[in-house]
Amino acid sequence: MGAGVCFVTCSVLRASFLKYFFLNLYVIFALFADLLRQFVLRYYGLQSPEYIYAYYYTDCLLTIALFVAVISLASHVFAELNLARYVRFVAVLLLLGTAGFTYAVVVQSTERLATKFAAELSQNLYFVGLVLTYLLWGAVLKLHETRTRLVQMVLSLGLYFSAYAGSYALLNLAPNSEIVQYLGPILGCFLPISWALTIMRNSEEARLTPARLVAVPR
Amino acid sequence: MSRKLGALALALGILVGAMELKTLVTAHSKTAVILANGVSPVPKLPPSSSN
Repeated sequence: MGAGVCFVTCSVLRASFLKYFFLNLYVIFALFADLLRQFVLRYYGLQSPEYIYAYYYTDCLLTIALFVAVISLASHVFAELNLARYVRFVAVLLLLGTAGFTYAVVVQSTERLATKFAAELSQNLYFVGLVLTYLLWGAVLKLHETRTRLVQMVLSLGLYFSAYAGSYALLNLAPNSEIVQYLGPILGCFLPISWALTIMRNSEEARLTPARLVAVPR
Repeated sequence: MSRKLGALALALGILVGAMELKTLVTAHSKTAVILANGVSPVPKLPPSSSN
């Protein structure tokens, strides 16, 4: 929670709040969602219907916000090619397509349709975000993007999504291990911390060469 | 027009790729869904009677 407050504060202080508005919006949503979840968890308990509803609906909203944050980074990357309009078009198509696909899968379940839809949509959007982030990283390398903040934020997202996929694999390998069960909440702090560090350590004018991050066979 | 068709094809490609990846990752799993937001503990979804 502290990392999220730190990221938003740094963004405001370094006049980057509006430039990275959707990233800030995601972090602010995450802060409020965590507050709400803790409140409901304290009063109703982990397996109560109230906490299940609160958790999965806020998670769905947060995944949509994260998806929009990925799209906003893609808009920054493709802005110089005047393709931002098409990026938004693809984003809308993806969101509608994912929602339609999820509904088609979930509609067969007659019970708890809304909660299951929220959980499934969140999971499907997670995978769409994962694929989009890797495509975005490919575009960053191909277009020789040099803005340090942008490069580091896309890298953070890639690491975040990959780490979650890794923790999921570990969860399947050792479902009863307590350490693995705490990996998710620990990883939840990673994104605001890495974005806060990026905003604090680099100015908007800072440049680097992402090609140096990739091993080139000679 | 061709750019819009290209965007449509890209969106469909991403969607198909993402769902393929999801099927690959979750097909043989017995554990809960991947949820990637926040630090709160994840509750288990109660199994529905029809699934």
